[in-house]
Amino acid sequence: MEYTHTTPRPVITVDEEACGNAILCLKCVKACLEAGPNCIGFMNTDDPPVGENAPQRLEDIPHTIIFSGMVNCNGCGKCVEACPKGALTLEMPELQVPAARVQRSDIVFCATLRDGTRIFPRD
Amino acid sequence: MCRYCLEYGGGTKWYLNPDNYRDELYTAEIHEPTVRMLGGARKNTFEVGAMSNVDFMAPDLYYSNNLSIALEQVTAHGGQIVPLEDALKIIDLCKEPFLLTHCACRRYFGRKDVIRCMYFWPTVETALRERPWEKETKVISKEEAKEFERECDKRGFLHSIWHAGVNSDGIPPIVMCHCTATDCIPTRFRLSYGVTNGQRKGEYVAMVDPTKCKEGCKDYPVCMQRCQFGAMRYSPVDRVLYIDPQACFGCGLCRAACPHGAIELVDRLSFPSLVDNW
Repeated sequence: MEYTHTTPRPVITVDEEACGNAILCLKCVKACLEAGPNCIGFMNTDDPPVGENAPQRLEDIPHTIIFSGMVNCNGCGKCVEACPKGALTLEMPELQVPAARVQRSDIVFCATLRDGTRIFPRD
Repeated sequence: MCRYCLEYGGGTKWYLNPDNYRDELYTAEIHEPTVRMLGGARKNTFEVGAMSNVDFMAPDLYYSNNLSIALEQVTAHGGQIVPLEDALKIIDLCKEPFLLTHCACRRYFGRKDVIRCMYFWPTVETALRERPWEKETKVISKEEAKEFERECDKRGFLHSIWHAGVNSDGIPPIVMCHCTATDCIPTRFRLSYGVTNGQRKGEYVAMVDPTKCKEGCKDYPVCMQRCQFGAMRYSPVDRVLYIDPQACFGCGLCRAACPHGAIELVDRLSFPSLVDNW
């Protein structure tokens, strides 16, 4: 059995076409910082060129919105409100009842295989 | 003494071992891509790209080991908290010049430009050549770098040393960051996801002298606001502050803030239980 549990957390998606070059706006990034969780950031869409065509200003590099550490998001929706282009959608996870957490002693994360490897417990 | 020190310390701490600063290490197989990316035009793709993947790599908060492994072995980049005196020694071990540049965690998560990242000599030349849009970068000397460290300590910024990959040939330090647990994304990964390879605990823990502490601040412990890791607990009954060694990262910022000299840093292994907690 593959181990697939995901801790429930909100998911935000960005319509990159509607958003355009994120660095020219960044209203959602600011809204999330001011709201507290600070989950929204931005990064370049591709490596900037080197040499003669190298961009001279940060604004000349195409950027896109990213989401990181969404476990700290409570779904306040300030980012969706702040977006002037309606490019963000916020999706809340389904409410779950607390489940018993099982200590899976048969799964080890092997540093060499870089994977969850199943071992069989001794009898 | 942590595992890095044991394997790469040569009798001292890994970041104080001159062997880890030798030139050929920065161009060796495992370390070269990290040095090239951090120094060159791909810095943003590398640093913020790694941050943007975290939610997918740690779907279950209680099994974040995948992410730990990715940080150390795939991106070959990780950090450890150091106190001021070790930070100054690190600068002594480095060649000049140093490159003072923006902090990626702060710039790319909306806090604008905070010039708090100090890159070491192997990245300086390529950074100036390949990133002409970074007008805010400054090239500084050894003395200026030391002055900068002291200023960070006074203002309550953590010092952390970041390496360019752990491999059998060594761990070359590449950048000294000056963050806080609110802004630093790897520190937040450590605290919310438990990703140990993002930000390691330092080689020390802080200890309070209860007698000096009792006579000192009384109801207003000023050191407490400096602790980024929630390791300090104040008892209004005893009028003394206690430090939880299991939670302490050994940054030494509380020591700098204590007006009564009641806090000192001791070696992490003064507490035998901390041998695997770093």
